This record gives sequence, C-alpha cells and structure tokens, in this order.
Amino acid sequence: MPMNPDSSTGNPSIAKWEQSDSETAKVVITGKVDVYSLADVWTRIRAQQDTWLKTSGKHNLIFDASAISSFDGAGIAFLIDLEKMQQAAGGTFSIVGLDPRYQPLLKEFDPISNLFPAPVVKPHRSFVVSTGMAAQNLMDDVRGLVSFTGHLAADLYWSLRNPNQVRWGDFVNAAVQAGIAALPIVGLVAFLIGVILSFQAAIGMQQFGAVSFVGPLAALGIVREMGPLITAILLAGRSSAAFAAEIGTMTVNSEVDALVTGGLSPIRFLVVPRVLAGILVAPILTLYADIVSVIASMLTMLIYGIPFVNFYNGMLSAVSVEDVCSGLIKATLFGVVISAMGCLRGMQTGDGAAAVGISATRAVVSSIVMIVLVDGIFAFISYKTGF
Amino acid sequence: MDAPNNSNYAIDVQNLTVGYGSTILMKDLNFSVNNGEIFVILGGSGCGKSSLLKNLFGLYQPLSGDVLIEGQNITASQGAARQKIMTSFGVMYQEGALFGSMNLLDNVTLFMQEYTNLSQAQMDLLARCKLDLVGLLPYESYMPSEISGGMQKRAAIARAMALDPKILFLDEPSAGLDPITSADLDRTILDLSKNLGITFVIVSHELASIYAIADKVIMLDKQAKGIIAEGDPKVLRDTSTDPRVHQFFNRIMSKDVA
Repeated sequence: MPMNPDSSTGNPSIAKWEQSDSETAKVVITGKVDVYSLADVWTRIRAQQDTWLKTSGKHNLIFDASAISSFDGAGIAFLIDLEKMQQAAGGTFSIVGLDPRYQPLLKEFDPISNLFPAPVVKPHRSFVVSTGMAAQNLMDDVRGLVSFTGHLAADLYWSLRNPNQVRWGDFVNAAVQAGIAALPIVGLVAFLIGVILSFQAAIGMQQFGAVSFVGPLAALGIVREMGPLITAILLAGRSSAAFAAEIGTMTVNSEVDALVTGGLSPIRFLVVPRVLAGILVAPILTLYADIVSVIASMLTMLIYGIPFVNFYNGMLSAVSVEDVCSGLIKATLFGVVISAMGCLRGMQTGDGAAAVGISATRAVVSSIVMIVLVDGIFAFISYKTGF
Repeated sequence: MDAPNNSNYAIDVQNLTVGYGSTILMKDLNFSVNNGEIFVILGGSGCGKSSLLKNLFGLYQPLSGDVLIEGQNITASQGAARQKIMTSFGVMYQEGALFGSMNLLDNVTLFMQEYTNLSQAQMDLLARCKLDLVGLLPYESYMPSEISGGMQKRAAIARAMALDPKILFLDEPSAGLDPITSADLDRTILDLSKNLGITFVIVSHELASIYAIADKVIMLDKQAKGIIAEGDPKVLRDTSTDPRVHQFFNRIMSKDVA
C-alpha cells in the first residue's frame, strides 16, 4: 500500500464540482494541493468533467484557486489535464484567484499540447522479418565468435613468443579466484557424485552378485567423464560469469575503449591472462575432483563390504594412465572455452547495469553449450582413435 | 511556508563532523539554510563537499552532530520517521544515477508509483511536466544510455523533483553542461525557488552560475577542516580579505599566490 507521508500534516485539499447551469461549471479547490493530497481529487473531478463534457451544448469550466493555501507542480499538472480535456471537447477553461507567483510556472508549459504526445505505435513485424532478423543475429554471433577465436589464437601465440609481456599479475589473480577459491565447492560436488555413482551402480549390480565390479566401473566413469564435466560446469557457473561481469562492467565504464585508444589490445590485456588461468586451473581442479570422487566411491563401497585394497586393485586393472590423461586434456580444452566465452560475452556487453547481468547469463549458457560441443567432439575422436 | 515546522530553517546543521572511520574531513560545522533559499556549498576538489552533502540528506551517518531537516532530526531518526523525512526532499547525484533499465519517463514516475495513489496517466503527465521543466520532453522514451551526460544530469533533476519536494539537493548540476543549457537550468532553479518556495542545496564550482543563483554560499577548506567563508558570493568576491577565498572567486592559479 502506498504510504502518504503528509497525511498527518496540513489540511489536505478538498475539491468541489459546482454547476450553475448546463454550460458553466466551476471547480473550487481549498487547502493544500500536493502530489499526495491530489490523487483522489484529480480522478474524481476528471470523472465529473468527462460526464459533463459528454452532454451537448457549450462547456465553460472555471477553476477557482482563491482558497488554495499551497500549490505545487502536481497542482499545475492537474490544471493542465483539465484544460486539455476542455480543449479536446471544444470548451473553454479559465483560472480565477490563482496566486500570481504560480503564473510563470504555468507559462513554462505553454503550449500544453506538447505534454500529450500521440501514443507510440510499435511497428508490426511479420513472421518472415522476425525470422530473418533472428537468422541475421545468429550469423552476427557466429561471425563474432570466429573473429574472436582468431584474435585470441593470434594473441595467445604472440604471448608465447613474448612471455614477459603477459600480465602475470592478472593471471595469478584469475587463477586464484577460479582455482583455489573453487576447491571447496568442487570438492563438495565431486564427493557427492562419487557417492551417488557408486551407490546407484551397487544397487543394480548386487542383484547379479557383481558388486566387486562397481569400483572399477565408477573410477573409469569418474576420470574419463564425470570429473572433467562437473569441474567444467562449476567453472562455467563461477568463473565464466565472473569474467563476463568484470569485463562487462569495464565495457560499460568505457575502460575497454580506453585500452583500445591507448593502443592496447583488449584481448591481449584482458582475455589472454584469463584464458591462461583457465588452461592452468581446469586440469588441476579436474585431477582434484577425480581424487575426491574416487575416495568417495571407495568409502561407499566399504558399506558393501569391499575393502580398500580390493577396490584399489580393481581400479588399477580398469583405469589406465591414458584414461586419466584423456580426461585432463579434455578438461584443459574446457578451461579454454569457459574462460574465452566468459571474456567474449563480457566484451559484447551493451549499456547499463542490466546488460552486465545479461552478459553473465549468456556467458554461463554459452560456456555450457561449448562444453557439450567439445565433449561430443572429444568422444567421437576417442571412439575413432581408441585413445 | 505552511508545513508545521518547529525550526525556522529548512536545514539546520549543528556541530556536524564529517568523515570516514578515523579520517575527519570536516569538523564541528554549524550552518543553517533558510526556507526557499538557494544555498551553495563551495570548495576545492576533494575537500569533502559531496561527503558533506551525503551527510545532510542522511545517506551517510555523521561521525557526530545533528542535521535537522524542517525541524526533524534526520541523524537520530529511524524507520518510518526517517522515511518520512527522506520523502520531503529530492536528490540529484553527481553522475545522474538514473536507473539504466528504465526510460526517462519511467525513471521519473518510479517514486510516484511507490508513494502516491495517482493513476498511470496522471503520473505520466506529471512526469512529462518535470521533463519539460528541464527541457527533456522530446526524450521521454529514451534510455539513460542513449542520451548525453548533460541530459542525464537534467533527467536526474527531473527525477529528484518528481514528488515536488520542499528541498532539493543537487550535486554539481551544471558541471559539464553547455553555457546555454546551464543558463536555462539556472533560470529553472530560480523559478522553482521563487515561485514554489523550494529550498536548494547545491554543490557547485561554476562561478557564473553561483553568482546568478546563490543567495548564500559557504566555502569549505581542506586544511581548515571547516567553513572559511559564508555569505553572498558577490560580496565575498569583492570584500573578502581571506587569500583562499579571494583566490577561489577570482580564479587565480595556485602558484601565483605568494
């Protein structure tokens, strides 16, 4: 409910609609006129005016302001509204008794027709046009992605050639924020996945008396797929959004423009350190997630009477070093696309605070789409090559 | 003018100390602003003018002292009482601080929607009046990011005036405006002050604008941590013997002062 800060003070305005004959009406207002006291008065008087204006004949409205104790901008807007309605219906409007000091303010709004612009009609878009525009937007997005990838590849290569030009301070900050700060949440989710995976598998395998195979199965699934995937999705949610928000705010504040006019490449300056941090952090976090998850799996299998030694030996027979490496290489690629998408969406930020939020959202969504894409390509390659 | 006011002043500042934590910017300030007056706060960059302003309208809590707005102590008030004081004035921030996701008309009507029972059409008309006063009527459907910095400032003034407050705080309203727009704005401020009796508290550096509108100025100084001059700006310019005041009003470069 809207509060009325002035309800307790002053004498609120009272308006009376007086009609001497069918052609002349008078609005008499007394007391204090302000934006709070006016609300009901305004609606009521205007309703009476509308009813009256619908009758035939002449319409002369007189506004009697002689009993007003104070008046403000809202009162002036009320006068203008009454006058506009009179004009529209071909009637007359006159003001009597208004303190002359309010006259200059009334004059400010002359002619009042400016205050009543024609309602804006939104142009109707046909289905064909909308589809075309959507296709165009998609094309622009793909073009932006391709050009960004090219720039990033060139600048990464340049950074390899000139390692002392890389902003290592930014790299360390990004690596700490994306890596060390992510350890608790990655550990938590990895532990949960380890428990769930082996528990669910054990329930099924128990019926066939094959509980001893759960350990190797879970461990293989963890190092090849689940470890890299959960780490990547958590990184996308944490760091991709963070990069997009940070660079997005810099874009809104023209800081990115300042880099460009200062002759610095924003990609070299902002994106390269973050992508390098992603490359470093993603495989390390994945390895950590693998270990936590396997330990969780071991603990779960203990419930089913599988001792650690048996689990360990079973795991060694099923999981090779290549499997772990395959997962870590995939994680590195995830790290690249997550950081890069976060930075790209940040640099594509529009104007205003809302745009930063949109960029952060787009960064997370795009990162996850890219993770799925990379994972699919990787699965295809390893199926074909047997790696 | 009419509101019950147990103080004769629109704003009364008593022994106000402004600062952050252990850093004291201004110490034991005492001054008052009369109803309907255009009151300008002056001082070099970084002396704490904006901080003082934020203490006056209750955004920051002062280190000590009291600020009375129309006789109500804003420093000591809380909850609903504080909110009631807060709605009795409007604030224009230095950078405009318009809501970026709303167009200008929505920016102006926002507070009306919260505090009044007006219909949407009535609020729109009222908001258009405010935008017209600052010369932005043709831009009502523009987003803040689509207009220039000077226009954003003017839109912010329109928003501050939305509920027709008795007091308006303006933080550097004419900085960055072209001379014509700046003169128009001065005219608007004078009109509002004379005709509606609105009290203005303005932080400004623009000497031309200060001479045109100010009834009274106070000048703050960083080293003195307080007010070094008070009064009519033209009188201060012509008669002040304080070298710091003389330097400010006559635009003398710092290295030329002995």
